[in-house]
Amino acid sequence: MVKAVKGVLVKCDASIKAMLVDIDEKNGHEFIIDELDEEHILVKETKVAELKQRLQNMMKERLKEPESSDSE
Amino acid sequence: MPPKRKAQAALDDDDFDEVEEEALSDQDTFDKLKQALDPVAMGKRARANHAVDAASFLFKKCDQWDAALKPDHANRPLWVDDAGHIILESFSPIFDEAQDFLINIAEPQSRVSRIHEYTLTPHSLFAAVSVGHSSQEIIDKLERYSKTTLSPSVLVFIEKSTSSFGKAKIVLKKNMYFIESDDASVLQRLLRDPVIASCRADADAGLIQEAAPKLGQMAIPGTKMAGINQPTQAAAPPVEPRPSDMIAALRVDEDEEDVAQVHSFRIEDQERNQVIKRCQDIGLPLTEEYDFNNDFTNTNLDIDLNAHTQIRYYQEKALSKMFSNSRARSGIIVLPCGAGKTLVGITAACGVKKSIMVLCTSAMSVVQWRNEFLKWSNIKPEDIAVFTSESKNLFPRGAGIIISTYTMITSTKNRSHDSAQVMKFIQDREWGLLIADEVHVVPAAMFKKVTYSIKSHAKLGLTATLLREDDKIEDLNFLIGPKLYEANWQELSEQGHIAKVQCAEVWCQMTPEFYAEWLKPSSVQKRALLSIMNPRKFQACQFLIDYHERRGDKIIVFSDNVYALEKYAKKLQKVYIYGGTTQTERLRILENFQHNADVNTIFLSKIGDTSLDLPEATCLIQISSHYGSRRQEAQRLGRILRAKRRNDEGFNAFFYSLVSKDTDEMFYSSKRQAFLVDQGYAFKVITRLEGLEQRPDLAFSTPQDRRELLMDVLLAKDADADEEKIAGDMFGSKFASTGSRAKRKNVARRTAGTLSELSGGQDMAYIEYSKSRNKELKKKGMKNDFLRKLTKVPKK
Repeated sequence: MVKAVKGVLVKCDASIKAMLVDIDEKNGHEFIIDELDEEHILVKETKVAELKQRLQNMMKERLKEPESSDSE
Repeated sequence: MPPKRKAQAALDDDDFDEVEEEALSDQDTFDKLKQALDPVAMGKRARANHAVDAASFLFKKCDQWDAALKPDHANRPLWVDDAGHIILESFSPIFDEAQDFLINIAEPQSRVSRIHEYTLTPHSLFAAVSVGHSSQEIIDKLERYSKTTLSPSVLVFIEKSTSSFGKAKIVLKKNMYFIESDDASVLQRLLRDPVIASCRADADAGLIQEAAPKLGQMAIPGTKMAGINQPTQAAAPPVEPRPSDMIAALRVDEDEEDVAQVHSFRIEDQERNQVIKRCQDIGLPLTEEYDFNNDFTNTNLDIDLNAHTQIRYYQEKALSKMFSNSRARSGIIVLPCGAGKTLVGITAACGVKKSIMVLCTSAMSVVQWRNEFLKWSNIKPEDIAVFTSESKNLFPRGAGIIISTYTMITSTKNRSHDSAQVMKFIQDREWGLLIADEVHVVPAAMFKKVTYSIKSHAKLGLTATLLREDDKIEDLNFLIGPKLYEANWQELSEQGHIAKVQCAEVWCQMTPEFYAEWLKPSSVQKRALLSIMNPRKFQACQFLIDYHERRGDKIIVFSDNVYALEKYAKKLQKVYIYGGTTQTERLRILENFQHNADVNTIFLSKIGDTSLDLPEATCLIQISSHYGSRRQEAQRLGRILRAKRRNDEGFNAFFYSLVSKDTDEMFYSSKRQAFLVDQGYAFKVITRLEGLEQRPDLAFSTPQDRRELLMDVLLAKDADADEEKIAGDMFGSKFASTGSRAKRKNVARRTAGTLSELSGGQDMAYIEYSKSRNKELKKKGMKNDFLRKLTKVPKK
């Protein structure tokens, strides 16, 4: 019997992919189905929203935002 | 260096409490003064009871919503707000006129193509008064140019600043200090102060009266007035209007006097500092001026500009501010790198014609200053002495020039017998002029020491970038003098005095393996190194170097990190210079870069940031841009502004900043650009280099290579903790001093050894052992020297 998992193809920068893989690893591999190449990964459809949220948090945490304008 | 704070923060009154560093003895009085005359604070006070509307919260700094426009506002170029900011429309027909005026009274903040921004500060107004503007005149003109009626708080601010500043001067005449003023009542007021009165030397006599020295008499060497034909309008225009202005101003101020006269009294020499401090305290700061024409005690120095030397109009403008009313005024002149700061210094020296002390930041620039002096002036070679760790000599006659470094003068370590003697010689005599090169890098405390050990009549600071990431730049106003002149970069590049530069920021993707490593928690240095060593960046660098070498450009590549510098240079087979490179090797490499057609690319560490004169360079690539130092960015840009080929038709110099995407570098890079953007430069963002992938010989093109590089980077850091620490130090160090060079040398040597062992002795070891291009040059260079001579002789 073939078991099928619905997946979403995520296309992103290499650096974002590295982040996604990192998130996946820290959470017991429950997001990513397969790493296709440097810029493409297949993600479980049910987890997309959660992954997005986690990625956003991570980016907020790790990256300094370039300065916009100095509004006082 | 805390990168987070902007220089404008200096204007924030809350910040003054934070001036912590070394407590300068008179720092507090200075702060008091700043506080009292701070336009922002005044604006705030005025705003407290200002009417608000629905949008007011957006304009917390300054809200001008209810200021009425003048009926003919379209013809007026200025907006002046309560906080003393001035916005100038550069497309206005009377832009030039307005700019000339504003540059005198306000400090330029930002000069982008359509809109210029200036700020009124106490110092800028002080400078305005010192070149002869009266407060009434400033207000009248501002009112004329402004689209709205000037608000009372601005008027009060201008009046308060101008009335307190520059009314009295301290003058060294016949080696005695005099307090001098146009207005006798000012002196009376000073004398009523018990502290100053006690410092007075000629206690019994009344005030000394003399006719004021004629203004505008000083002929700046190298201009028409000095007898050299120059096609453009010479010294006269900027100077001429002043005498009448001055007299008019006097008429307004005091009706009883028709002829300009100066009054003065003498003070005790040793009380000089005391008096200056006291005057600042009571709100009448003294200007320092040097009447060198009437100084007969110090021997004159036989120095003049060469007959063929001509100075450019902006250099002349700058100098005319320094020498108005034929005295030398202390201050700072700001010119972009490559616009001839050295020549300004030399011309000033020729004007003063006394013993000159020149201070620079490195031994290398000492040599360059000496050569420039010999090139532009008729000074005898033996009259220029050099005081560095390598050579210590003196000039034989009564007057001369000594060129040295800040570290040599302020060193507190035990000196050798030779240098102790030179120091004594320096301390024991009186100097006509102190020229401080790259003055922005000198910490205030250090400069203080310099001024104590060198007794000079006038001080001239030269810099391209009058900014620091800390707020210490304000201290220079106080230690040296006000900013006398600041050039407009875009204007100069349009006129061809400095090169036109295309700026670009190249975004390089991190490869997944590098980024995964970058994401792991690790030290700042390691992450920095990972983003510098990003293979994609490496490829971009390789690509750009190739591209520009084929165009015939001479390329400089900058890296803060010595490890990365070596890796890049060795992999790409290019020559490199860093702190550990010996002086002879440096000179050889630079020589080759200048003359050898085979050496078109040079890798430089931080030591190349300032004072390296490389007129051949036309393209600059910056591979590591950690820490948001705006000054460093501007100084680096300066390396290509002096490009020799700048006057060729359609010539452009190129400035690339390689940034690893999604890392801290993005953040820093936006910070670093701030200064250049303010000078009107636009940064293009390049996300993809056309044709990069097609190149067959790209470095690190296979995942295998990349992983090896990654291993190497990780090992390098882990294995050699020392290196990491020093690398951190180097970022922090303020400038390449001679002292820290020795330290770096050791470390670099050790790194090279350990690296090759630890990298597995395979591919990387192969690269390590392959000779660096530096060594190749040794033989080649000499041969080349010889060949060059051979080829040159028949030509002539």
